[in-house]
Amino acid sequence: MTLQPEDFWSFSEWLMRPQSFLESALLQGIVLFVLAILLGLLVGYLVSAVRYGPSEGFYAVARAVRDLVRSDLPGTSARRIFALARLAYKEAIRRRVLVVVGLFVVGLLFAGWYLDPRSSDPARLYISFVLTATNYLILLLALFISTFSLPADIKSRTIYTIVTKPVRATEIVLGRMIGFVAVGTLMLVPMAIASYFFVTRGLRHDHEVVDIKDLGNGRFEGKLSYDQFHEHTFTMDPPAAPGEPALGITDSVRGHRHVVRKIDDQFVIGEPTGALRARIPSYGSLVFTDRSGNIDNKGIDVGNEKAGGGYGASGISRLIGVSSEARRLEYGYMEGGTLGSAIYTFDNVTPARYPEEDGIPMEMSLRAFRTIKGDIVSGLNGTITMRNPDDPKIESNPITFVVQEYDVAEETLPRKIEGNDGNEVRELDLFDDLVSDDGRLEVVIRCVDRQQYLGTTVSAVYLRPAESSFAWNLAKSYISIWLQMVMVIAFGVMFSTFLSGPVALVATFACVLLGFMAEQVYDIRYHLDRGEDMGGGPIESLVRMVRQDAMTTELDVDAVAGKIIKTVDAAIVYSLDAVATSLPNLPKMLGTAEYAASGYDIFNSLLARHAVATFGYVILAFLIGYFFLKTREIAA
Amino acid sequence: MPVASDTTAVAEAPDVAPASSPQSDVVIETRNLSKIYRDFWGRRKVAALKSLDIEVRKGEIFGLLGPNGSGKSTTIKLILGLLFPTSGRVLVFDQDATETRKNERIGYLPEESYLYKFLTTDETLDFYGRLFDLSGAERKRRIDELVNLVGLQGARHRQLREYSKGMTRRVGLAQALINDPDLILLDEPTTGLDPIGTRDMKDLILSLRDQGKTILLCSHQLSDVQDVCDRVAILHQGELKELGKVSELLKVQDVTEVHARGLSDAAKTEIAEVIRRHGGTVESIDNPTTTMEDLFLNIVRESERRPGARRVSAGEGTNEKVAAESEGKS
Repeated sequence: MTLQPEDFWSFSEWLMRPQSFLESALLQGIVLFVLAILLGLLVGYLVSAVRYGPSEGFYAVARAVRDLVRSDLPGTSARRIFALARLAYKEAIRRRVLVVVGLFVVGLLFAGWYLDPRSSDPARLYISFVLTATNYLILLLALFISTFSLPADIKSRTIYTIVTKPVRATEIVLGRMIGFVAVGTLMLVPMAIASYFFVTRGLRHDHEVVDIKDLGNGRFEGKLSYDQFHEHTFTMDPPAAPGEPALGITDSVRGHRHVVRKIDDQFVIGEPTGALRARIPSYGSLVFTDRSGNIDNKGIDVGNEKAGGGYGASGISRLIGVSSEARRLEYGYMEGGTLGSAIYTFDNVTPARYPEEDGIPMEMSLRAFRTIKGDIVSGLNGTITMRNPDDPKIESNPITFVVQEYDVAEETLPRKIEGNDGNEVRELDLFDDLVSDDGRLEVVIRCVDRQQYLGTTVSAVYLRPAESSFAWNLAKSYISIWLQMVMVIAFGVMFSTFLSGPVALVATFACVLLGFMAEQVYDIRYHLDRGEDMGGGPIESLVRMVRQDAMTTELDVDAVAGKIIKTVDAAIVYSLDAVATSLPNLPKMLGTAEYAASGYDIFNSLLARHAVATFGYVILAFLIGYFFLKTREIAA
Repeated sequence: MPVASDTTAVAEAPDVAPASSPQSDVVIETRNLSKIYRDFWGRRKVAALKSLDIEVRKGEIFGLLGPNGSGKSTTIKLILGLLFPTSGRVLVFDQDATETRKNERIGYLPEESYLYKFLTTDETLDFYGRLFDLSGAERKRRIDELVNLVGLQGARHRQLREYSKGMTRRVGLAQALINDPDLILLDEPTTGLDPIGTRDMKDLILSLRDQGKTILLCSHQLSDVQDVCDRVAILHQGELKELGKVSELLKVQDVTEVHARGLSDAAKTEIAEVIRRHGGTVESIDNPTTTMEDLFLNIVRESERRPGARRVSAGEGTNEKVAAESEGKS
């Protein structure tokens, strides 16, 4: 799992962006609201002006606004909303949508057959399977229930009996949304519980002791049977006190270990542990140095690193062209055997936060890039050096390590280590000498092998002060799925206030899809801004496809046609960019599943950000839905 | 019964409210109301209603009559705010028809009962009661009352999808009355009802009027309109063709009707003679026939009184008895 800088933002940092307010979510939200309302009023006016003439049209729009503020919002009654929500809920339930939950559970029962039992990380496989399955299933369901209900009511005219009661348009829209969210929640909760048991039970397995060697002094070494496509070895120490069982632990295979107890000459193998985790990482800030030791913010791009980096959340500053950064690197690389390094600065490093006796747990998931074959069997070699950020001359001796690619390597930063205190070489204390007075610690990572490169990113190296519970972390993933569901329902209900069922479905789906394709749209915009020939916008690329022209050549049409094509393309791309920027960032929300699957605690601030964004979009969808329903002739 | 064919003789122009009637007596007022239906592109399709001016006053039963496509339903939808007028205005309780708050005092029975088929009677009424923001106790009281009124005691917990058309109609009526409305709009109230149901509906409409409620109904069942309405407006092709009191519209000025019992044939001849002497023309002297409705209702009532017995076949006197009964009733 790779995190980008914006993923670390705290809630207030995300909302306000103190240094660059143009990038803030708050500003983006305000602009979106203002634009949506202005656009809505303009479109509303144009439609009614065509229908009723310019002055009557203005009156119709003004009346809708006046009614919202003066009577409909204050007159909105909780009892009516509840009644309408309950109706939507009952409708869905009596149409037996809960069957889907049954199908899901049945699906889980058979899913075990198809999940690769030889996977090197079964926990990740199981978790991402259940989360992805529920996520798409719930979004699909939300799409269907939310878009078809209101148009069906209008078509069957049952809506007549509703709108001829003192029911406000606000209540109809809100009632639908709340009712469908209730249905979705009712489906999601059993799915979440079933998923939890599927994952925990699915990973449970047993071994037998097949080989045991007495090492003397009560110590044993043994081997466990080959079950579930893997085996373990273990060592066992004598009991800590007489009468207690002797304890041993196996090696870690496929992300888990077993505890082995010796009770009355019988070896009892415990359940797998360590497979389902929710590590709470403490990330630092990262700068690189290049081969000459100069500070460099990005590291070296060894190729295709930008594909995974993305544009990040730059709010409207990218849209209006104030910042036009390219995609960022996913991993930056440092050159081996030179002064190139990656320097992490961790905050809040205190004994209270890291009470472990032997040192601070640090985990790394680095990547390697080889330009020569070298010793292909063993991994690249690197070093970890700890440094006092206030006085870089105080520095520990390097700790060497071998890079484990595609795996999380667990290291320990020792409490006592040989090093240079600026004057002499002596044993340094981690907290007393290397950590600065305000609790900061620098960790420098270097690659030792010449002509090889070591890649890292902010989230690849972190200290691990604590661990959260897996169940709670899974629950947080489901909260994230729930938020996405709320978002889709809000959009579905909004579209269904003025479109027929199938069209509303397609419109909502297009919104979801455009949310997922946003980065590709940004790419086209980026190339367009820089004047780079990358195939152009939609019309230019169509021309190129038909003429079978290469993507990077000049567009081979006459000057006027070229000008027209480029102008139209620019208009399309800029509008698409604006639309994509204003749509909810569903991929980011979907990405929280990756946290749970990789065994990381989902930041509460991230969840809070998603929740606030969802709430904002729900209000927007509610307002738009209100205006459309209010100005609509129900019986037409 | 003779029906006036020459309407000009009785048209009085009652569309202008009498000066004595206070303004607050007007419940519904349409002013120059027109509706043109347009297609998606705003092109004119049909003018459904042309410059309609009517007033419905407090406590009367007002009927909208007309053939299919004459603009009756359009008028009702405009009054309810389901449609917006192309020009002109509709005022209901002195408020614009698109105002939501006016609905608090309105009950509406749509043409077909557009109800949620997956709800039971109790749930349906409870739901609509909630839409009027009625408290739980109030809803319970009203529901019990209305279920008894429309005679659905035995079917309160069945989903509407299992109901016959007549039963759904009753639920529709009950939901229209859940808020004890001052104004009740009934769109084809008797369609789908059997003769007993039709009679019950008509009796109910009259009793609602007696409670001081205003009723606007539209129908193409002429007998319904004739039986219950105080005033009618007759629409054709979106235009108001006739407006006035039913009793006056239907009165045939130059025909006299006499009902008598126990006359011998000789007496009848003598009466004809007297008429001729006074310069009148005898069109017919005959035993009156009753309506099919009255005949049917009598059979059903008798069969309820004496189950199993077959009714004595219609002979002399029976028809007269029936006529007398029905007369005494109305």
